[in-house]
Amino acid sequence: MSIDSGVLPGKSSRLDGLLDWMQMLSGAGLILFMWAHMLLVASVIVSPDWMNAIAHFFEATGMAQVGGPLIFLLFLTHFFLAARKLPFRLEGQKTIWSHAKMMRHGDTWLWIVQAVSAMIILLMGSIHMWVVLTDLPITAAKSAARIQGGFWFVFYMILLPLTELHVGIGFYRIGVKWGFITDDRRGMFKKRENFLTLAFIVIGFAALLRFMFLSIAQ
Amino acid sequence: MSRLLKFNIFRYNPQDEASVPHMDEFVLEETDAMTLFIALNRIREEQDASLQFDFCCRAGICGACGMVINGRPGLACHTKTRDLPGEITLLPLPVFKLVGDLSVDTGTWFREMYNKTESWIHTNKVFDENALEERMDNDVAESIYELDRCIECGCCVSACGTARIREDFMGAVALNRIGRFLIDPRDQRTERDYYEIIGNDMGIFGCMGLLACEDVCPKHLPLQNQLGFLRRKMGITAIKTLFKG
Repeated sequence: MSIDSGVLPGKSSRLDGLLDWMQMLSGAGLILFMWAHMLLVASVIVSPDWMNAIAHFFEATGMAQVGGPLIFLLFLTHFFLAARKLPFRLEGQKTIWSHAKMMRHGDTWLWIVQAVSAMIILLMGSIHMWVVLTDLPITAAKSAARIQGGFWFVFYMILLPLTELHVGIGFYRIGVKWGFITDDRRGMFKKRENFLTLAFIVIGFAALLRFMFLSIAQ
Repeated sequence: MSRLLKFNIFRYNPQDEASVPHMDEFVLEETDAMTLFIALNRIREEQDASLQFDFCCRAGICGACGMVINGRPGLACHTKTRDLPGEITLLPLPVFKLVGDLSVDTGTWFREMYNKTESWIHTNKVFDENALEERMDNDVAESIYELDRCIECGCCVSACGTARIREDFMGAVALNRIGRFLIDPRDQRTERDYYEIIGNDMGIFGCMGLLACEDVCPKHLPLQNQLGFLRRKMGITAIKTLFKG
C-alpha cells in the first residue's frame, strides 16, 4: 500500500543530486585507482626490482601510509552511497532476480553482477587492504611468499575477476547514466569495455603467476 | 505446412475469488503475417472466450496491447509470430494493476504520472484566440515531437529494474515527459521547478542505468540519451542551488 505523497510535507531533494554526484565521483576515483594499482602491481611481470622501486617510491613519499587509508575511506564511502540503491530486503532481491531471469537482458544481468560483486569486494577488499597496509613496506618477495602459501592465491583468484568486472561495469554504467555515451556509441563502447576488463584480468592473472613462481631468495 | 504455435498464457481473474494464477496452454496454426494480435483474437474466438487482453488500434499507436512476450515487454500488435520461436509465453506487464489475464490498468498509473510531472504547458500568457499562433523553430518542434511520440504503453516501466524494486520510481516515460517540456520554449518552468519534480531518487537520480527501457521501447524513443541529458542537467542544477542557497 502506498500513500499519496502529495499530502505529505515536501521532501528536500537537493541532497539526492549531490549524493548522486558523490556516488559517481567516488566510483570514478576508485576506477582510476584500480587501473593504476593493477599496472603498478603488474610491474612485477617485467621485473621484481621495478615493483620494489615503485613500492619504495610510494612509501618514501608517505603516499602508501596516508593514501592507503584514504583509499579505504573512499571505498567505504562508495559502498555507503551506492548501497542506497540496493534492495537489502529479501523481497526486493527476489523481485530483481526474477525480473532479470524474465527479461534475459544483458545490462540488467550486469547490474546484478555489479551488486553481488560489490558485497564480496566489500569483504575481500577490506581484508586485502588490511593485510597489505598493516605489513608495509610492500616488496615483491613478501607478496610472492603470501601467494605461494596457496591460500592467498585462491583469495586473489576470486577477488581479481570480481573487482575487474565491477570496475568495468561501473565505468560503462557511468558513461551511459550520465550521457557521456550516446545510444549510437553504446555497443562499441561496451565491446571495448569488455576487452579492457578482460585485458586487466589477464594482466592480474599474469602477475599472480609471476608471484607464484618468483624465487623468494632474491 | 505451417508451424503449430504453442502459447503459454498467464491466467488470473482478480474479480473471481475461486481464480488462482496459473498458465494455460493453447495451440494454434500459424498463418501468413500473423501478429500476436491476430493470434490472441483467434484463441479467444475459437478456443476460450474468457481470455482477457487489451487491444484498440492494432497498429502500434494506442499502446493498449503491451504485454510480456517471451520475457520482454512489447506490443502484441507489433510482434509478428514468425519472429518468435514455436513456443510463446505471454504474461501481463508487471508494475501495473492487473485487470485479468493479460489485461492491465495502465491508466491509473499514467494519470498519477501526469499529476506528478504536471504534464501540461505552464505559462502565464493569456490565450488570445484571435492572435496568430506563435511560431516555433522547426528544429525545436521536431525534437519535441520526437519525445512526444510516446504512446504510453508502459513497456519501459515494466522493463525497468528500478521500477520493479522501487514502487515510487517515476520511470523513463515520466522522465521523458519532463524532458519534453524542458525543451519546449512555451513552458515557463525553470530548471529549478523541474528539479523539484525529478531531482530526487524517485526521479532521475533513482535511475540505475540498466537501459532496459531503451531496449524495449516499441517506438524507439531516445530514452538513453534523454535520461543522460536529464541527469547532467539536474546534476548541474543541484550544484547551482548549492551555491545560490
